[in-house]
Amino acid sequence: MPKGRTVLAFGLALAFVGTATAVHGTAGHGRSTNSASSASRALLAAAGGLPSPERPAFVVGSPTRLRKGETSARFAPVMREIEARRRPSRSAGRVAELARETPEGTTNIVLVLAATTREDGQWVRVRLPVLPNGQTGWVPRRVLGGYQFVHTRLVVDRDRSTATLFSDGHTVFHAAVGIGRPESPTPRGDFYIREKLSGFGNPFYGPVAYGTSARSAVLTDWPGGGFIGIHGTNEPQLIPGRISHGCIRMRNDDILRLSRLMPVGTPLTIE
Amino acid sequence: MEQRPSGDIFDSCDEFARTLAEVDVGGMLAETASAVSAGTRASFLRRCLGAAAGVGALLTATDAEAAIAATKNDVAILQFDLVLEYLQAGLYTEAERLDALTPSTLAWARVVGAHERAHVRAIKSLLGRKTVPSPGFDYGNVTSNEQAFIKTAVAFEDLTAALLKWQAPRLDSRSILAAVVTLHSVETRHAAWIRHIVGLEPATTAFDKPASQRKMAELIDSTHFVASKPRVARKAQPPYSG
Repeated sequence: MPKGRTVLAFGLALAFVGTATAVHGTAGHGRSTNSASSASRALLAAAGGLPSPERPAFVVGSPTRLRKGETSARFAPVMREIEARRRPSRSAGRVAELARETPEGTTNIVLVLAATTREDGQWVRVRLPVLPNGQTGWVPRRVLGGYQFVHTRLVVDRDRSTATLFSDGHTVFHAAVGIGRPESPTPRGDFYIREKLSGFGNPFYGPVAYGTSARSAVLTDWPGGGFIGIHGTNEPQLIPGRISHGCIRMRNDDILRLSRLMPVGTPLTIE
Repeated sequence: MEQRPSGDIFDSCDEFARTLAEVDVGGMLAETASAVSAGTRASFLRRCLGAAAGVGALLTATDAEAAIAATKNDVAILQFDLVLEYLQAGLYTEAERLDALTPSTLAWARVVGAHERAHVRAIKSLLGRKTVPSPGFDYGNVTSNEQAFIKTAVAFEDLTAALLKWQAPRLDSRSILAAVVTLHSVETRHAAWIRHIVGLEPATTAFDKPASQRKMAELIDSTHFVASKPRVARKAQPPYSG
């Protein structure tokens, strides 16, 4: 042990012994100062023979608080086929059926909006990927898997032909987009990002395509049900504008940038 | 090298099993079980048992650039601890985000969650390339049900303290041991604190028993909290309207 550290340790030990002796005296235990000192000296002698402590392999840093001003939305996978109900009751009217998988083979997820506990367990209100757009329904909590949280929100402005991604309320992405033609408009409302597809080798959709819970109100016989996607394009010169069958198109470098920032489950508002 | 304790002498942890069994009030956790992939649970258990046996199934020979020069045994123990810390951090973080518990319980969850997230960060930084990814978790409605949450928290904090006690004499590295004991004392404080909140005696015995990794893995498995992650991305042709 270095000399300075030894002196410091000895000083601290003496201070401890002094305090202990004072406490003994105050408490009136009747033990002599001499015997207390000799016991303390024995302790000090024993402590002196210990090896230097091992340096810890890691030191746990400060507690990691959740981000200040964190905003979050939660989604969950559908684990069992279920009929969503108008109210949190098995006897309530049916709104829509929820499958475990999407037609593209990804897990069917739903955005969770609220929860309530009834006699038969917890029910949650979820946003539904069905027509007419904007519907919600109640399902038992137990038919859904674990919650996942996202801190992002995408807003598509049809009038300005822009898409803006917010993370905890801060703008982290902004780009021009192409939206639906007047005869096949991009629907307004609140939706969510359902899946992310890539590696399809189709220049029409660019390098990445997100599936949303929004559906075209006019192209209902489209293969797959006319779901609205957010994807790249092989005609970037047409952006911004009203150019699509309802999908939201971006230049390929923009969709690639977005794909690094926006997780599946992100709430989507089209206004 | 000093002889490490054998695996079986500390395997008796019926007390912990009983504690965890209490958690499943009205079958709430069993309800969650039906929504979880059995295959994923089994693989989690295998992973934990592999780690317990010092097999280190997740280690690869190419992990030469790890952040520490730890033995396979120590890496396996740290990987097990990391999964457990993920599990705890996830539980408390979800409870904090859902904001459905009473203020005193939520205050506890907020503090303890911040500790568990710091533990995750510390162990990951130590493991470096030997870190393991977080599995998916499904806590059912435990994170929004006061009674279920408290009982789960009591069980997990008690068990974590017991597990670290079991692992400590099995570590090869004294410097990793020195680090792990800094976690252990915090976990015991968490356990005493939540026990106090719920009106349980914070310290029931003069000496605590350790709980083995095998028992811990089996008990985690029985909660069905470990779940498969949803497959939300894949290579496929988009069918969107265009």
